[in-house]
This record gives sequence, structure tokens and C-alpha cells, in this order.
Amino acid sequence: MLLLIGAFTIGLILSLLALGVFISFRIFEFPDITADGSITLGGAVTAVLLVAHLHPVVATAAAFFAGAIAGTTTGILHTRFKINGLLSGILVMTALYSVNLHIMGKSNLPLLSERTLASMAEASALSLLGTSVVHPLGWAVSTRDAAVLALALAAAAIVGLSLYLFFRTNLGTAMQAAGDNAQMIRALGVNVDHMIILGLAVSNGLIALAGGLLTQYQGFADVQMGIGMVVWGLASIIIGEALVGVRDLGFVITGAVMGSVLFRLIVALALRGGLNPNDLKLVTAGFVFLALVLPSLLQRARRTVRTLGTSEAPL
Amino acid sequence: MLTTRRVYKTFNLGTPNEVRALRGVDLDVDEGSFVIVIGTNGSGKSTLLNAVAGGFPLDSGTLMLDGVDITRWPEHRRASMIGRVFQNPFSGTAPSMSIAQNLTLAARRGRSRGLGWALKRSMREELRDRVRRLNMRLEERLDNPIGSLSGGQRQALTLLMASWLKPKLLLLDEHTAALDPKSADQVIQLSEEIVARDRLTTLMVTHSMAQAAHLGDRLIMMHRGEVIHDFRGAEKQRLRASDLLNRFEDVRRAEQLDESAADMLRRLYV
Repeated sequence: MLLLIGAFTIGLILSLLALGVFISFRIFEFPDITADGSITLGGAVTAVLLVAHLHPVVATAAAFFAGAIAGTTTGILHTRFKINGLLSGILVMTALYSVNLHIMGKSNLPLLSERTLASMAEASALSLLGTSVVHPLGWAVSTRDAAVLALALAAAAIVGLSLYLFFRTNLGTAMQAAGDNAQMIRALGVNVDHMIILGLAVSNGLIALAGGLLTQYQGFADVQMGIGMVVWGLASIIIGEALVGVRDLGFVITGAVMGSVLFRLIVALALRGGLNPNDLKLVTAGFVFLALVLPSLLQRARRTVRTLGTSEAPL
Repeated sequence: MLTTRRVYKTFNLGTPNEVRALRGVDLDVDEGSFVIVIGTNGSGKSTLLNAVAGGFPLDSGTLMLDGVDITRWPEHRRASMIGRVFQNPFSGTAPSMSIAQNLTLAARRGRSRGLGWALKRSMREELRDRVRRLNMRLEERLDNPIGSLSGGQRQALTLLMASWLKPKLLLLDEHTAALDPKSADQVIQLSEEIVARDRLTTLMVTHSMAQAAHLGDRLIMMHRGEVIHDFRGAEKQRLRASDLLNRFEDVRRAEQLDESAADMLRRLYV
């Protein structure tokens, strides 16, 4: 049960990562590796501000803005200096490693007795319910776990809904069109470079927000926490698209959140089932590879079957 | 309305692929004039339209539109005054977005885009109305992605989008060349209607001599980056497709003459 709740919580927190990756990879088809650095950046900023006794809401919001600055940097490298998109992300990600170390002052920063969003949620749940164990559906769950899960759910819902609404505004539709057909939206008076920069800022802002929340959930920030995160986000999106299809933006956003949760559940079960944690990233990369090539392989197989069928038909 | 002065553009300067695409184009287009641009392949007609739209910076020369010097304006800024339809039917619309969304994007061409709701309920009736006038039964499919439509339908919608906010200048760049004959006729007819109704100042590049003879109130013929013929008024109205073909033949002959003359000189003096 603990395993399930934990997977759900992390899945929901990392759904913000998936939504950020969705903006760069799916809206702009921009392979933005900055994510690996900006999620750590979010964790580092949040941890340092919490240790400095700032209000958790302020510390979490600061993570978003720090991530947005990282994304803006990548966007400017790509648009203003015409550096290849992948390379722009790699440059910023690499630079962020040092930046993150400087922010934290060491490679791991624990949150011992600091007030965090998680501890605040726990405290308010305790005072509300007056018990340290709740029994939803007959299971015994510690109030702390339930409160943090509710907090993560609220965060995913708020961000998902805001994103959906944003892509219904004049600015949001222009951004979507900039990724869909740059020539067309330029002819309608939109500066595509600005849209890319803004998109990457929002994307990395959300990813850093995920980092900030993750840090408060797990109780520490670590300079290594971002490695491979962009692939995890991509895996979540792919699972989400398989779950709900790509019909409408609302579906895709919901799918990304669901995909993130499902992905964490699969990971938790696989680890429980004896998967060596060291192999986790290898398996994830293999999964994303399969998900990327499987559709075209299936199509080719189907075509082969069809041509075999037609060539045999006249006989 | 549109004035181009000594506009020069060379692509791939100093390489074996050097193309002197525009060689001193001087053009004055009056307000409300519908100008047809024809020319051989590589004559610079599409390059001229791109130069006006802002697809690349000029080597030299100036562009004035509605009394404003737009020579140094980036493409997206010029879009506040210019509506465009491209040759490729896929270029003018965002395929994964709905018809309604594409149209609302066009309804803010060149204006600021903030956090206001893009597709207001009050707007839907107007969208439906204007789309109905295309006579393509698309008004029932406003929420379908544009990528699911045919090239002709997409080109008709692009035309509608380009003219949604009456532009100072409408640029049509061989916008029926990639369509089947029936769709091409439909789109041409629609172009004629819209240009006439809104009295739009228009530059239209075409390969079709029939369109060139039939449409517009002025025709310019380009060759090797220059305007070599300019027909207006009654003279334009008298032009037949066969006249235009004869002009092309003249150009071809003159060119051959040039080449054989150059050949002779080379043989004599080199």
C-alpha cells in the first residue's frame, strides 16, 4: 500500500515534468535536454530557500522562475545565436550542473526540520482529521502520506488545467501554431523566436516546479537528481498518448498526467519484482526506443502482410 | 500603395550557385490595383513577392508600403499590413489545429496576442458565416483539424485567412499551381471575388496564361530579375493568352540571339 501511494505521489509530482516535456517535445518538436538540469535547479533553489526559512510557497514559486530563466537561456541560444536545438539544451544543462552545485554549496542538501509544503499539508490534515492514520477504502494510510498525495494531485490538476486554458488563449494558440507551422504564423504577424523562447521558459519552469515539489516530498535535493529525467518525461507522454490518443489537447494533457502516474507504478512494481535499480535507466531508455520505433515497424509489417496478400490473390 | 525602388538580391553570392534573382526592380502599384506577375522559371517573380513579404533581407533598394518604409521590417512585422497565400497548400494553415482555431489566429493578424480567450462564443457565428460563403460545406466542420482537408479546401481557407482583416496588400504566390484543375478554378474564382469585394491591392504570381490574361487590371512580365513588360488599362484588357505566349517566345529568341552573338565574339576575339 505504501508502495502504491508513493508511486502515485511521485507520478503526480513528475507529471509536471511530463507536461513541461510535452511543451518542448510535442508542441515545438524541440528535443530540450535542459530538463535534466532544470529539474535539479528547481530542487536546489527550493531546498536552499527552505533552509533559509522562507515560506514554502515562495520557495516553490522561486523554483518555477529559476527554471523559466534556464529555459529562456536555451531558447535564446537557439533562436538568437542559431545554435542547434539539441546542443543549446546540452550547453545549458551542462552549465546548470555547476550552477546547481553553487546554489546548494554541496552535492546533497537535506531538509531536516524545515517547514515544507509536505509538512504543511501534513499539519493541516492532522488538525483537520485529528488522527494520524486514515482509512480510505478500508486501508490504513498514514495521514502524512494521504495529505502529500492530495497535495500532489492538486498541483497536477492546477497545472494541467492552467495549461489547457492557456492553450485556449490568443497567446497560447499562437504558440501552438508556431510549433505546428512556423511559416504560417509568421505570415500572421507572430514572432516565432519569441514563441519558442516563451515556450521553453514555461516548459522548464514546470520542470523545475516538479523538482521543487520532489525535493520537498523526498526531503532532500541532490545534484544528480536530474539525470535521465527528460527520458522519463518522454516515456510518460508516450504512455499517455497510448492511453488516450492524441485527439484533443485536453486529452493529451490528461494523458500525460495519467502516463506519468502509470509509469511510476510500473517502475515501482518492477523494482519490487526484483529489477536492479541500476538497470532502471537502461530499461527506461529501451522502453522509449521501442515506443518510438514500434509504430513504424508495425506499419511496415502490416504493409508486408498486405502486399503478400495481394500478390497471392491472383493465383 | 506599394513602391519598390532599385531592389537587388543575389543568392549564394560568390559561389558557383550564384543567382542574381532581382536586378533593380522598380515598381509602383496603385491602391486597389490587381497586378498579375508572370515570367519564365527563375525570372524572379516569386522572389519579388518574397522580398515584399520579408522572407529575406535585400542587398539594396527600398520598399515602401502605404507610405511607410518597410525595407528593414522583419517578416512578422510586415504581416500587419500584408496577407499572403503560398504556393504550397500546406504552408498557410496549421494542420493539427481546427478550422476555427486557424481562423481566429488570422483574425488577429499583426495584432497583439495576450491571454484573452481565442475562440469567443460571439465570434463563432461570424466564423460560420464567412466559411459558409466559401460554398465548401466546411461550416459544419469548424472543429475538425485542418490537416484532414483537401489542398483546395485548405487553400480556400488560407485565402479567407489572408483577407480576414482587410490587408493593405495581398500576395498570391502561384496559389493554385499545386491544385487539381477543378479546385484551382474554385480558388481562382474565390480570389477574384474577395479582391473585388474588398478592393484589395493585390500582387498575384501565376504560371497560367489563361489566368494571367483573364484576371487583374495590370500585368507585368519578369525576366532575369527585371520587369521587361508592363501592361495596364485597355492594353491589359486586350491581352490574350496567345499574346503572352508570343512574348515569351520573343524573350526566348532574344536570348538565343544573345548567346550566338556572344559565341561569335568569343570565336573572333578569344
